[in-house]
Amino acid sequence: MAALAMGSATPLMQAATLTQTQKNAAIQTDTLTIPTPGEFFSAMNKQGKPNWPTLIRKPVIQNTTNRAQLALNLGTFIADGYIAIEAQDGQQVKNVGKDIISLAKALGVSQDIINRGNTINDFAENNDWSGLNEELEATENEVKLTMEKQKDTDLITLVTLGAWIRGVQAVSGIVTKSYTPSSAKLLRQPSVIHYLLSQIAKLPPRLQGNTLVIRVQDTLKATEKLVSTPLDDPVSEATVREINDKMNKLIDDISNHQEGSPAK
Amino acid sequence: MKRYILSACVAVLVVSMGNGLFAQSAKETPKSAPAPTAPKADTKPAATPENPEGSLDPRSKALELAGAFTNDGFKIRDGYFKGVLEPNKPVLFEVNLYAGDQYWFCAGMTPADQPARKIGVAIYDETGKKIDAELYKEDNTGAAGIVAGNSGRYYVEVTLESGPKADYCFLYAYK
Repeated sequence: MAALAMGSATPLMQAATLTQTQKNAAIQTDTLTIPTPGEFFSAMNKQGKPNWPTLIRKPVIQNTTNRAQLALNLGTFIADGYIAIEAQDGQQVKNVGKDIISLAKALGVSQDIINRGNTINDFAENNDWSGLNEELEATENEVKLTMEKQKDTDLITLVTLGAWIRGVQAVSGIVTKSYTPSSAKLLRQPSVIHYLLSQIAKLPPRLQGNTLVIRVQDTLKATEKLVSTPLDDPVSEATVREINDKMNKLIDDISNHQEGSPAK
Repeated sequence: MKRYILSACVAVLVVSMGNGLFAQSAKETPKSAPAPTAPKADTKPAATPENPEGSLDPRSKALELAGAFTNDGFKIRDGYFKGVLEPNKPVLFEVNLYAGDQYWFCAGMTPADQPARKIGVAIYDETGKKIDAELYKEDNTGAAGIVAGNSGRYYVEVTLESGPKADYCFLYAYK
């Protein structure tokens, strides 16, 4: 997985402060630079006791053959898995595991992750929530690795996007319901958005022209502006609500978008 | 693979490192992550024709160190980075952390020859300022731990402080 995306190394000399040139040359990888929904939710748990069970979604029926949409949905399902873990709902974890395998099959990458699905079930049976957290990320990475092997690297970006969007939808929803400045600080992620937009910019024209991908890109650009607050400043309550509205619409688009129709 | 290594770590004898674990720690700081329990002894795999010395690969070495932190509830990221670390050529990684989460950034090397390497790990905030971190250093492994004070971008620097160049692996754990 380390080879998914890679920057270049830069010479440093144990300085107390990094220069902009050094920072610009830092290595960025999908699997290290982008935090998992599990990390996001772990930080959210320190802000109070979110009612995770209320964030579990109804099953999303996929009737599309649009691979971009399938990949984005796969990412949202992975984030759903983390939500089910936080809710400590073993049955829901199993359901999400099945959905992930099903979507992976639709994308032609199921062969290597069937066993992962079985392992997820085993962990869920034993209520091993910590193990599930790691297994879910391992499953995501195995899907991405298979995509890489199958020369479907473009889809990797979309899976990452889907997971991040669903995670932000969940957390912004929690913060909207019980706003505190410290919890709102968790949504300050301009550098994550910047990285994701840079990955979208690398997609082939065919995918960049996909109406759903355009919608994702537009929403991320707007959200980047909203969360680009100074280091110690929280995102305001009104802005959190705005972010949540945007993510709700985007998740709805990803779940229900019909090919040939413009994204809502 | 990770499961196997972690399970194997539990199975082997614990090396009593005691206070030596943080012998090289930075000054006590409210933003430092709590001390993990002692790392386990080397989980040396059996020698095979492909690996006659039975040595651990860099990822196994890094996982072995990170595995010690799981005793304190840390979860290890499945993602990692492997490369070659050379003297005077530190490597910088960009990561995004969440305020309040605790992190341990771990690097491991497994040189086939002696002497053992010393690895330094340092953390910088998004302005590029070095952060006071809890440090851990042993032969061929190094780690730095913090509690993120703000959500956002951070930089982690991995340095080969002594010894010739060798393969290394970088990963992190959080809780």
